[in-house]
Amino acid sequence: MSQVFAPPPDIDRLRSRAWLAAAVGIAVSAGGFFLDRGQFFRSYLVSWLFWLGIALGCYAVALLHQLSRGAWGLMIRRALGAATRTLPLLLLLFVPIVVGLSEIYVWARPEAVAADEVIQQKSWYLNRNGFLLRAALYFLIWMGPAWLLNRMSLRQDAAADDRTFRRMQGIAAPALGLYCLAATFASVDWLMSLNPHWYSSLWGVNFIGGHAVSAFAFIIPVALFLAGRKPMDEQFQPRHFHDYGKLLLAFVMLWTYFQLSQLIIIWSGNLPEEVTFYLTRTEGGWLWVSILLAVGHFALPFVLLLSRDLKRDARKLAWVAVVLLVMRWVDLYWQAAPAFAHGEGQHGLHLHWLDLSTMVGIGGLWLAVYFGELKKRPLLPAFEPYLREAVADE
Amino acid sequence: MSDPLGKAPIVAPGHTAGSVTDKISSIVFERTPRWWWAAFGASFLLVMMLLHSLTKLLFTGVGIWGINIPVGWGFAIINLVWWIGIGHAGTLISAILLLLRQEWRTSINRFAEAMTLFAVACAGIFPLIHVGRPWLAYWLLPYPNTMELWPQFRSPLIWDVFAISTYATVSALFWYVGLIPDLATLRDRSVQRWKKMLFGAFAMGWRGSAVHWHNYEVAYLMLAALATPLVVSVHSVISFDFAVGQLPGWHATIFPPYFVAGAIFAGFAMVLTLSIPLRRLFRLEDFITLRHIQNMAKVMLATGLIVAYGYMTEIFMAFYSGNQFEEFMILNRIAGPYRLYWWALILTNVLAPQAIWLRKVRTSPALIFLVAMFVNVGMWLERYVIVVTSLSRDFLPSSWGTYSGTYWDWSLFIGTIGLFLALIFLFIRFLPMISIFEMRTILPGAKGNPE
Amino acid sequence: MNGVEQETVGTYGLMAEFESPTGLIAACEAAREAGYTKLDAYTPYPIEAVWEALGHHKSKVPLLVLLGGLAGASGGFLFQYWVSVVAYPMNIGGRPFNSWVAFLIPSFEMMILLAAFAAVLGMFILNGLPMPYHPVFNVERFAQASRDRYFLLIGKIDPHFDPTETRRFLEGLAPVEVAEVEE
Repeated sequence: MSQVFAPPPDIDRLRSRAWLAAAVGIAVSAGGFFLDRGQFFRSYLVSWLFWLGIALGCYAVALLHQLSRGAWGLMIRRALGAATRTLPLLLLLFVPIVVGLSEIYVWARPEAVAADEVIQQKSWYLNRNGFLLRAALYFLIWMGPAWLLNRMSLRQDAAADDRTFRRMQGIAAPALGLYCLAATFASVDWLMSLNPHWYSSLWGVNFIGGHAVSAFAFIIPVALFLAGRKPMDEQFQPRHFHDYGKLLLAFVMLWTYFQLSQLIIIWSGNLPEEVTFYLTRTEGGWLWVSILLAVGHFALPFVLLLSRDLKRDARKLAWVAVVLLVMRWVDLYWQAAPAFAHGEGQHGLHLHWLDLSTMVGIGGLWLAVYFGELKKRPLLPAFEPYLREAVADE
Repeated sequence: MSDPLGKAPIVAPGHTAGSVTDKISSIVFERTPRWWWAAFGASFLLVMMLLHSLTKLLFTGVGIWGINIPVGWGFAIINLVWWIGIGHAGTLISAILLLLRQEWRTSINRFAEAMTLFAVACAGIFPLIHVGRPWLAYWLLPYPNTMELWPQFRSPLIWDVFAISTYATVSALFWYVGLIPDLATLRDRSVQRWKKMLFGAFAMGWRGSAVHWHNYEVAYLMLAALATPLVVSVHSVISFDFAVGQLPGWHATIFPPYFVAGAIFAGFAMVLTLSIPLRRLFRLEDFITLRHIQNMAKVMLATGLIVAYGYMTEIFMAFYSGNQFEEFMILNRIAGPYRLYWWALILTNVLAPQAIWLRKVRTSPALIFLVAMFVNVGMWLERYVIVVTSLSRDFLPSSWGTYSGTYWDWSLFIGTIGLFLALIFLFIRFLPMISIFEMRTILPGAKGNPE
Repeated sequence: MNGVEQETVGTYGLMAEFESPTGLIAACEAAREAGYTKLDAYTPYPIEAVWEALGHHKSKVPLLVLLGGLAGASGGFLFQYWVSVVAYPMNIGGRPFNSWVAFLIPSFEMMILLAAFAAVLGMFILNGLPMPYHPVFNVERFAQASRDRYFLLIGKIDPHFDPTETRRFLEGLAPVEVAEVEE
């Protein structure tokens, strides 16, 4: 195991394509900013949450692997690690949301708050300074341990000792707990408060479950890319993809479980302040989005992922992953967008080209940075006590 | 942990398929140890107490309990949820850990499954007796009747009927299927003819042929894959009993996942409570090693944190909601008439398990046992707080009331603990409490490939 | 067991006992190469390699489970639909008669229940259990098959079966013992 697993050189090709996409997406979105400022910020929020979800999901999965040490995780450890190093970029990309805060959130508009007693009651939590302070805290909670673990992982490569290994495990447990806490409050701040009257205590868990789906839906295509090239082509085996497929299936089921639990409780309770969430999402065009979500985010991937043969076929599995990645955006859009229309008398579904261009802009930028980070380190850690087991033949 | 990577053996070195078989089956064939009689006798006395209370209840009615208006749901539902929750760890150890290929589950799964079965049996008593006229409990089932009535499927109480009966059935199937090859082993080890006949009848002629094993393994995996979502659904349905209502403190969307986590938490605590003394008494330290105890303790800690997360979310959402009833509910829990229960709950369920972070605690079965006992109590308190504080003070102050259990409430509850223990003692006496055939598979060289 | 007293009974087949799984797997492969087809192996625990060495096909249990699950889910839902919409429609808090959100739960439970029964009963039927009597139990050493010994059986119905020839073949595989299985 003294071989160094240098990343394949054609990552650069992907990287330059990502830069190109970033340039186009950002240019178009900038145009949109001047044409329709409100729409720009609203589209931007959903796109930013989508890419943030991938990065945070990868972070959480990396922590989970650090704790449980399955063979599945070692093969993608460095690919996950690279995603955790994109968090500073995502913090930078948070700035436009701060700028457009009052365009996005009702509670950030003083005149709206003055007219709404419920929001006034919540202003101890929903206020500009609190929002910013908390966001800073979330990023500190996520980036701090991520930075530490990335540094230690590198040190572990240099000096083979199991002290670092043990200490990384010791950091991962509290880091995972803190991640969940921060993500819960972040989900309230960034998504739930779009509709400041509505609340659901499952929301944070649902947000976290979505991250996990995002992480696997993203990392499977990356693993497919790496598995097709030297030096990892000899290391990846069908059983690794089998494991990723199983985990993806598990998280898809978890996501469905959260969604259904929330639906059953709110539908049965039938309280006016709660059930509006589902009423707006089953009217007009939104009904079709809801159905699309049920089919695309659950039924279809569920049925496909039950097949053992499909899970062991990296290419087919990657297709399912891509479908789910698209569905992740649909899910976030479904959660956020009906709230935007609220109050302006338009409940219907209004897709805008800015939804696409901000996705491409942020995505291009994020992927360019991601592939840059992926290139920086060997694809397998040099010292890892379980490495031999992980790459062993079936 | 002895080695730096935490890969301590799950079976002490030196064991072979033969020695594993002999050691575990010998517990069934040996003379009954004296302590067994004492332990079984004590739990049997509690069973007698249970029967006494049940008789009194049947002749007098549920008026002997502490329930009143507004607290119409008292010990019966608290105990139901407590017992069902305890059962869940058994299914989880068997099913989820099997799917995750965690070989350490092998020494504890049989035992944990039996625990599930007995816990569900204890749980099942309460919904039956709380209906007031248990001899009419079959009215809950959908069947064609002369009154042309049908159940109302929008109610979580009918969901309970389906969920709990399915759970009991599937748990029993899982447990029995797991036992078949071991029953064949006992049949072949038995000396007396009647024992041979008895074990043989239940082994159904199992021969261990390659065809048998193949279908068996596939069926067992399928059962595991079915039991996993089932377990999640069962405790979610239990949580719906509360959550689909509109009472503050009950109507919260976080309930299903947090109830499921609480169930696993309670269940692992109970597995630890039982396995730590039993491994000593039967000298099974070779099979139930410190690694098992530690792994279970870690699962207990992790699920305990999820439960704590649930408490925190409830509190935060109550204040975030801007709903005065929600806020009052939380303040009432913390500082109202039942505050002692709430603070005891925080101590036992949230603070006590944090001791497992300490290496010193993790390496001492005695200390882990202590923590598990705290959790056993804490999970009962949790349900007490949820049921009683919410019901006793709802929207209208004029309809507020107070609640406390009577002697009959307590005797029924403690009686079911006796029933549970009595069943456990019978099980460990007459059946192999560790899966023998699965233990053989985790020995070195078992897979038939050269090591 | 009591085969000693009996005089002349038919032969069911020949059985070789091995001490290790590797010995059994090698024997299975050798027997298949020698052209035997009516083989069965007996082991104290499941060994996938034995199954592969015997060259068997996939189990039908998953298919049965799928059918059971589908029957349970659809049957459960349709039953609730019939009860709540056709047989006994009742207005509960203004909710629709076809309250599919609520019906999901009993349907799910029925799916699991029937799928689990399909798995267990399917396994019994495919394995031909319960079967109180089987000739292999007549071999005295066979009791060890549920402890730590591994057995290979070549049935009499095998077209290549020949009492002396097959015995010689089995003895050449380094078994602990070769025994005749009486009918």
